[in-house]
Amino acid sequence: MTAYSKKQVLLKAERVQLNYGDQVILRDVNFEVRDIVRPGMQQGQVVSLIGRSGMGKTQLFKLLSGLQTPTSGRITLQNNQTVKAGDMGVIFQNYYLFEWRTVYQSLLLAAKQNDLLKGKEKTSIDAYAERFQLAEHLNLYPQQLSGGQRQRASIIQQLLKGSNFLLLDEPFSGLDICVLDKVVDLLLEVSVSDEFKTLIIVSHDIASCVAISDTVFILGKETGKPGATIVKQIDLIERGLAWQQDLRHMPVFADTIDEIKACL
Amino acid sequence: MKNIFNPFARISKQAVITMVVLQAVLVLLLWQTTSNGLIPPPGKVLMAFLHLLTTRLLADNLLVSLLLTVKAMLFSILITLVIAYLSVIPFFKSVAQFIVKCRYLTLTGLIFIFTLLTKDGSQLKLSLLIFGIVPFFTCSFLAVILNIDKQEFELCKTLGYSNWQTLYEVIVVGKADQAFEILRQNFAISWLMITMVEGLNMSEGGIGALMIKYNKYNDLTNVLALQLLIFLVGLLFDYLLGSIRMWLFPHTKLKTQLS
Repeated sequence: MTAYSKKQVLLKAERVQLNYGDQVILRDVNFEVRDIVRPGMQQGQVVSLIGRSGMGKTQLFKLLSGLQTPTSGRITLQNNQTVKAGDMGVIFQNYYLFEWRTVYQSLLLAAKQNDLLKGKEKTSIDAYAERFQLAEHLNLYPQQLSGGQRQRASIIQQLLKGSNFLLLDEPFSGLDICVLDKVVDLLLEVSVSDEFKTLIIVSHDIASCVAISDTVFILGKETGKPGATIVKQIDLIERGLAWQQDLRHMPVFADTIDEIKACL
Repeated sequence: MKNIFNPFARISKQAVITMVVLQAVLVLLLWQTTSNGLIPPPGKVLMAFLHLLTTRLLADNLLVSLLLTVKAMLFSILITLVIAYLSVIPFFKSVAQFIVKCRYLTLTGLIFIFTLLTKDGSQLKLSLLIFGIVPFFTCSFLAVILNIDKQEFELCKTLGYSNWQTLYEVIVVGKADQAFEILRQNFAISWLMITMVEGLNMSEGGIGALMIKYNKYNDLTNVLALQLLIFLVGLLFDYLLGSIRMWLFPHTKLKTQLS
């Protein structure tokens, strides 16, 4: 097994509850994401929050991104600061970009928000665009991009902004099998770009989530209790499923998928 | 051509041209057959229109009206933008909403007050036009702000923008094309009002003053010729403003193409 250790807590959800009036949407959500250290390499974290449709994934996504505040409980980052809008890079399901800005202008706006890039915004944009095969599309408007190009532009935008956390809402939704593999590779590439880079994927695509993540949290309902909560956490590193090529052919992969399905 | 009565049917460009020409011919025929001694036939109106085009009288009066309209439009859009941008600040929201409701006030009842408040006829016309136009502009622009996609604000928040940066990016920059579209759509209102306010101070001329003069002497042929001119100038401005918008904001062209 690959040597690794889990160090400091990067993100922590404590007793998070979300109500709409009398309706409980999320109840007692608790989980934490720790920095995974692998000797001799930069290893970021990829965690997935899996749940069925209507289970409150989008609400949890909004709470994690700081766009919404929980009714009670806290979501904190490594410095024990409560998460607020802007702390996380957020990639919406439809890869929303400003329609009135070209890709380059949008990326420049994001880069200008990052103090570490001061004075080297343009070179950073060019570097990312080259790496994500978007260099030829920088002067186009979002309406002129394909879904995959929009997704890459959204990811670069949030990377340029400089947050270590990247929150992705259903990144595999509606993609054909070839594009899906490219997206998985792209996200894995992002995850190893920095030791503290943490990808949080909110999705109902079990196979893709297991294929890419090191940890899976399952959002589900407990019998007789209102609202959704984290019903199970699966450490994919322990099972030998993290950071592997061709893991989809491994028996433990199929077993894990079945296990997750049984929890939903 | 059989599709022209089918809901949502797509017809060729050639079919559209043929259909519009036939409809225009039909209207002209109807006009020709129903015109009597009082209502001039289309041919006579066309001759009067062509004659008007060659006169200095029309050129001078048209220039006066156009200058006044453009001036009023510029002031109105500036006032509208300030009001609309401020409307997202709670303190100014009620002011903006009150201005929108001013659409229901008639200009006629306010002429005396405006006469007292302004120095001369020129200022009176300009201020009345602005007062008439601004509520309509504001109403349209507030509707644009109200219909902004929530994701535009959310993206700003996730990028760490302050509320002022969000206001600038989403409303000032992001909706600049819509402000231009409002200007285009409401040009008709300003053009409609110009003929009315020009009647208040006829010494400076203008096509409104000219029309009132022709009306006074029951010269319906020239009145209709002037109406034709007003209609054509309106169409020209509509086209010009639309083209400038596409040129200034290329993404709007893409949006139109996609829809």
